[in-house]
Amino acid sequence: MECCGPGYASPSDAIKAPREKLLYTIAIYTGTGIQKPDYLATVDVDPDSPTYSQVIHRLEMPGIGDELHHMGWNACSSCFEDENMSRKYLILPGVRSNNLHIVDTATDPRAPRLHKVIEGAQIKSQTNLSGPHTVHCLGSEIIISMLGNAKGEAPGGYLHLDKEFEIQGRWENSMGDIKFGYDFWYQPRHNVMVSSEWAAPNTFMPGFDLEEVGHLKYGRELHFWDFEAREPVESFYLGEDGLLPLEVKFHHDPDSTHGFCGAALSTNVIHWWKNDAGKWQWEKIIDVENEQHPDWPIPLPGVMSAILISMDDKYLYLNNWLHGDMRQYDISDPHNPVLTGQVFMGGLLGKAPSVNGVDVAGGPQMFQLSLDGKRLYVTTSLFSTWDNQFYPEIREKGGVMVQIDCDPVNGGMKINEDFIVDFGQEPNGPSRCHEARYPGGDCTSDIWL
Amino acid sequence: MTTHTVTIANRESATYQVNARRPLLEQLRDQGVDLPYGCEYGGCITCAAKLVEGEVDQRRQVALNNRQIDNGYVILCVARATSDITLEIGVDSHDKLYRNPFLDPLKPHELKADIAMPQPSSSKAIGQEKEG
Repeated sequence: MECCGPGYASPSDAIKAPREKLLYTIAIYTGTGIQKPDYLATVDVDPDSPTYSQVIHRLEMPGIGDELHHMGWNACSSCFEDENMSRKYLILPGVRSNNLHIVDTATDPRAPRLHKVIEGAQIKSQTNLSGPHTVHCLGSEIIISMLGNAKGEAPGGYLHLDKEFEIQGRWENSMGDIKFGYDFWYQPRHNVMVSSEWAAPNTFMPGFDLEEVGHLKYGRELHFWDFEAREPVESFYLGEDGLLPLEVKFHHDPDSTHGFCGAALSTNVIHWWKNDAGKWQWEKIIDVENEQHPDWPIPLPGVMSAILISMDDKYLYLNNWLHGDMRQYDISDPHNPVLTGQVFMGGLLGKAPSVNGVDVAGGPQMFQLSLDGKRLYVTTSLFSTWDNQFYPEIREKGGVMVQIDCDPVNGGMKINEDFIVDFGQEPNGPSRCHEARYPGGDCTSDIWL
Repeated sequence: MTTHTVTIANRESATYQVNARRPLLEQLRDQGVDLPYGCEYGGCITCAAKLVEGEVDQRRQVALNNRQIDNGYVILCVARATSDITLEIGVDSHDKLYRNPFLDPLKPHELKADIAMPQPSSSKAIGQEKEG
């Protein structure tokens, strides 16, 4: 389809897009002991470039203490037919400060520049929300899941911005009986949004008290929304199979009702779909067993903090942050996934303490896949306070970014030996990289109407 | 106006005068002390410091569990000095702030205040005003 808006006409068109040459990842100093602002790093991922596998630009935020975390685009393929829109701005929320940084990545893609800051205090006073997490564009507008009210108490809600980045207020008409917020994804052809649950900011920000899971301070439910009515209509209680249900992803195919959630602490993948009778169903399709650590009295869960679906909907990728492995599953039959690839990088089991000559503090945590499904970029830091609990050596060593080469035809994963970005060597001292995105859109940003 | 003296033990015992009615973080930062911080409402632990001597009022904090409080941690963005105090600041004071929860579980009385069980013994944190 000939058109002039951002993104691609379809997932199959996205797969054919030119290879990514740059990627952006946030890097934090919050919680590290280094009194510098968090920043957006531009990484050269063009193997033909003399600066391949290096940080080539750093855009510092105006203040310290934001804890940049996830980020999102102002526009995606949902605006493909809107010639007035372009994918120009990346929105970088600070989880701790509530500041939203709007960054212009189009004027000079190698050197993004700060366009605007929406102050956290203004968001609190106008919407009674804090703890920004997932950013999705919504046609020409933007919604952001906010995990708490202005005092950091759950469940928070959704912040609505217009395309000029002016606060429009709360997006949702009701939070229903939802106890917590976290991630969300929507599938417009089915008028559905699915949201997941982490915890109140006041619970997760100081660190992870495992005991609080039993006190119901962490989530274990998935919520299905009437997207147009902007209210939840059905919830699934996942119980012990779904402790800390974090990332949610629908198939990229806009006609599909299949979607997936990674339950971090249970270390399970939950699959949902709409059956022939029009009812939403769910099942557990992957259960990563706990591992015995030689020096630990209790078994160690994997902690699956992220999942990702390849653009062709064939593969699901997941991490086990504490075990240290990344996995690839063929989900051609979403009810019966088949493990097709696995690599270790870091982790607490000691299976891959270094990668390409760099000591890995942390384990595989966030990842972004190329649109063609061949290159998976993986980073190692989860959240400053949680890093400090499980991987205290990350203070001195910083985070790393690794590239895993993936076979999108036959399955399989292998660490690329030519690529590694060691954030332990950053000019201001060791920082920690987290989510990554490409200038042209990626496998966790675009939604088709 | 009541003022107190803050001594920062791990910054060559530098001293600062603070107003008893305002949070320590903003007052120390105003006087040039380079301190980490995040949420600025007592919810996120980034600005935690260790109270070595003296007393603070940190009733507004919601980030610390009782073990962290018993280990002397205070949340500077909401804590106010109620006497002359001595602090250790920054991440070099965080040796007991973070623990691996799988290796080192909290006892029921060591949870955060809203879910903690009563403390079995009479041992009580020194220098902390926990009650409203």
